[in-house]
Amino acid sequence: MKLVAEILKEIRPEFDFTASSDFIADGMLDSFDMVTLVATLDKNYGVSIPGTDIVPENFQNLKTIEALLRKCGAKL
Amino acid sequence: MIPIQQPGQVFDAVQKTKAGAPAFCTNFFPVESKLRDWIDHGELFCEEHEGAAFFLKKDRDFGHFYFLAADMAALQRTIPAWSGLKSERMVTDLVGNEAAVERFLPALEPAGFRRYTRLQRMARIGRPETGGAMPVGFAGKADGRAALELIENAFDRYGEQLPMPYEIESAIENRQVLAARRDGVLAGLLFFETQGLASTVRFWAVADPFRALRVGSALMQHYFQTQNAVRRFTLWVNSGNENAIAKYRHYGYAPDGLVDQVLANEMINL
Repeated sequence: MKLVAEILKEIRPEFDFTASSDFIADGMLDSFDMVTLVATLDKNYGVSIPGTDIVPENFQNLKTIEALLRKCGAKL
Repeated sequence: MIPIQQPGQVFDAVQKTKAGAPAFCTNFFPVESKLRDWIDHGELFCEEHEGAAFFLKKDRDFGHFYFLAADMAALQRTIPAWSGLKSERMVTDLVGNEAAVERFLPALEPAGFRRYTRLQRMARIGRPETGGAMPVGFAGKADGRAALELIENAFDRYGEQLPMPYEIESAIENRQVLAARRDGVLAGLLFFETQGLASTVRFWAVADPFRALRVGSALMQHYFQTQNAVRRFTLWVNSGNENAIAKYRHYGYAPDGLVDQVLANEMINL
C-alpha cells in the first residue's frame, strides 16, 4: 500500500508535499487535483470518501488527509 | 431563481445537496473571494430542486450555468424543471478528464445543451531559459479599458470566461496584468494568476497591428522572469487553436489531460 505522500508525489511530482502545511494556499493542489486524489485514495486504501468530505480543509496537508482516511475506515 | 445575497447561501446549498449523497456531482468549484465578487455585483442566482441546486452567473448578454446534484440521476431528473433552461442564454463548463466529462453528457444533452467548444489545459514544470526580452511592465489603471477591449476582441466570450470590467481593474491593481506598449498604445497583455507555487496564464493577447513584432514573446518571457517561486505553470487553450497550442509548446507547455467541454443551450445560436 502506498503512503499518502507517495500518492501525492505521483499526482504532482514537481512539489515537495512534506515541506508544506497548506497545499491549497501553496498552490500545490487545485480542485481538479482533489478529484484525482480522492479516486486514488479510495482505490489504494479500499475506502469511499463521501462527497461531503471533499472540501479543501480535508486536503490541506498530510495530517488532515490521513485524518480523513482514518475517519473513512482506512488502516494507516 | 433568487439572487444570492451571501456566500453562506451557496455553502448551505452544497451541504444540503451533498448530505447522504456519495455520488454527489457538480461543475461548481467556487473560490470564496470570487463568489463574493459575483454576489457583490449582483451576478449570482440560484434555484433549488429536490436533490439538486442550479446556479446562474450573469456575464454580459448570457449566463454561466452551474449545477450541484445528489447524483447523475437527480441531475437528469431535475434539469428540465430549471426555470432558466428555456429563458436564459447559457453556457456550462464540464471539467475533468475525458471520461469524467463524457459521463455528464447524457444528463445535459437531452435538456438541450449542445457541444460548443472544447478547451484543454496545458502545463509546464519550472521556468524556461529566457532573455533578450523587449521592455514590459505591469498594466496601470489607465490601461483597464484597452485591456478589456483587447481580451474581448481576441477571445470567445461564451467559451473562455472573459473577465468583467471590475475583474480587470482588480487584476491590474494586484499586478496580475503585464502590458507591452508601443508608441504609447497597449500592444499586448498577459493576464495571470499566481497562487503559491502555481501560476496560470488566463489571457495572452497581442493587438493586430503589433503582431509579428515579438510583443507576445516579450510578454511571456517577462512573465516567466517575474515568477521566481513558481514551480508549476498552467493555462487553458481552445483545443482547435493549433497556432496558440504550438506557441505554448514552444514555451514548454504540454497537455496535462484535463479538458473543459463547453456546452451552450438552445437559446444561443451556434
